Amino acid sequence: MGEAAAGDAGDVLLEARDVHMYFGKVAALAGVSLEVRRGEIHSVIGPNGAGKTVLMNCINGLYRPQKGDIFFKGMRINELKPYQRAALGISRTFQKVEVFGGMTVLDNIRLGRHIHLQSGILSGALYVGKTAREEIENRQFIEEEIIDLLEIEHIRHKPVGMLPYGLQKRVELGRALALKPELLILDEPLAGLNLEETEDMARFILDVNEDPRWNITCLLVEHDMGVVMDLSHRVLVLNFGIPIMDGTPSEVQRNPDVVRAYLGEEDLYATRR
Amino acid sequence: MSTTFLPCGEYHESYREDHAWWQTRFIKAKMMLLVLILFVGIPLAADSYWLSVCNQIGYTALGALGVQLLIGFCGQITLGHAAFLAVGAYTSTLLILEFPWPTVLMDLGLAYPISIFIAAIAAGIWSVLFGLPSAKVKGFYLILTTMAAQFITVDFVITQYISQIGGRGQAFSLPPGTIRIGPWVIDSDLKVYFMMIVLVILFTALVANLLRTRVGRAWVAIRDNDISAEVMGINIVRYKLLAFFVAGFIGGVAGAFWISNLAAISPEHFPWFWSLWLVGVILIGGVGSLHGVIFGSIFMVVVMELLQMAVLPLATSYPKLLMDFLFIKEAAFGLAICAFMIFEPNGLAYRWWQAKNYFNLWPFSY
Repeated sequence: MGEAAAGDAGDVLLEARDVHMYFGKVAALAGVSLEVRRGEIHSVIGPNGAGKTVLMNCINGLYRPQKGDIFFKGMRINELKPYQRAALGISRTFQKVEVFGGMTVLDNIRLGRHIHLQSGILSGALYVGKTAREEIENRQFIEEEIIDLLEIEHIRHKPVGMLPYGLQKRVELGRALALKPELLILDEPLAGLNLEETEDMARFILDVNEDPRWNITCLLVEHDMGVVMDLSHRVLVLNFGIPIMDGTPSEVQRNPDVVRAYLGEEDLYATRR
Repeated sequence: MSTTFLPCGEYHESYREDHAWWQTRFIKAKMMLLVLILFVGIPLAADSYWLSVCNQIGYTALGALGVQLLIGFCGQITLGHAAFLAVGAYTSTLLILEFPWPTVLMDLGLAYPISIFIAAIAAGIWSVLFGLPSAKVKGFYLILTTMAAQFITVDFVITQYISQIGGRGQAFSLPPGTIRIGPWVIDSDLKVYFMMIVLVILFTALVANLLRTRVGRAWVAIRDNDISAEVMGINIVRYKLLAFFVAGFIGGVAGAFWISNLAAISPEHFPWFWSLWLVGVILIGGVGSLHGVIFGSIFMVVVMELLQMAVLPLATSYPKLLMDFLFIKEAAFGLAICAFMIFEPNGLAYRWWQAKNYFNLWPFSY
């Protein structure tokens, strides 16, 4: 990581080709194609039930599309399980926070480092030498890179289940970052946050996308049009599982189909601001 | 409730200090004192009766440790843990009695220690076998599949087949002198006590270490949210089976240890009620806490002993009480669980945590 700067229209990191996903006879996705280039923030928007989360679940491996292929770094990953895709460098956050409520903030983020750690049953149980060193190094990485970035020093030893919603979202982002992913799927990271928390979260997303130490490509699902249009390099618009268009934010704003399907007759910036 | 507050004036200057088990000098002194009490105080002070009570506590704690690991840390509810204790006890017994040990090993007294290890592995593998359904089923349905472990193992395989080995029929008697570790023949409560205390401390420490490294965190993550655990790169099925293996392993050690305290072993030592009892122990001690295992075991065993002490004098005037004691014991068990579920669902461990924090934060507890 680190060679491709943000916005540099680099190689294709993730490609979804003609993805179909049916639940019974309901077509949640009907032929969606998506290309996410390295270093970009690529947003997916659409009205409720448009299939945005289904598409994320397909990319992430929680769902298996009936038709169509998903390529990550040029490799077909349709058959891989979610944990195998995580090892390839795909991480995500969820729309409804899915943190580990009984673990502390620190342990949640440590868990995100799972694929980068080595200790097993025996070495873990004995906790000597390499394992102890690994835990300390891991702790240092988390403290310096993630907790510092997300400004959650004050809650690091608190159980996540006891934190307010906004902080839980932040911890979830921290956990996703701990995996040091190449592709970060953000499923409505701003849902339910107040204005200040929204601004913080948007800043974190920009940080990890642009900071050369992270340089994470983001796939963002979001309803907050102001944020989507400001952050994204490209935007995919879905409606009832059908892709309407894929283009830059300004192209999307000008497209009459998009305006009709999603934004209504109102101005794009009507949702917030 | 994983971390307690540091007392005023204590600071950590490195991550190593923050990761240490015993973080302050006071705690270190306290734990040393505890070790001293366990290894010197109790053996000197307790008579044979109280030593046997301690042994019962240790056996309960070793059994409950595996249950805690499965239920409290990995979220896999199990109601058949006695089966794995039985597998451990029977494997160890059969190895000692039937296996043609080379005389060298017999002379060195290694037969029993080796048999404990093999018994633990066997119980672990047996446990994985019954953990396989956990790949597909959760919650209620898993409870039923783990109950199957109990009935298949103890009531069917052991009672019907294993017990017939050597034409003995019911029980395997363990002649005096067969249980020995090195030069020591385990023949008194005191020796059993020392073996118990070493095993309990060892396995509590091993599990505690596991819980602060990669494997243990994966278990807790599966307990709290299995979908996001998988998304974070954890092979859920593998880690669930690992949890079953470790729980079975500890169960096997517990079973193999317990034969040192018995003159004979029979399937009645591992009834289904004992599986339920172990779950009760962690409910009372606190689900998801290693302190809970110890506190729960102490509470259950001591309360039952006290109950016995109360009933025995009464039995001279009401002889029926003696006959009904088993039912009284079970009723007390049920009552204790109900009371804890209603008044302290977090168990004794939570109270302990609160008490510690109270003293650490005193006098400014806000």
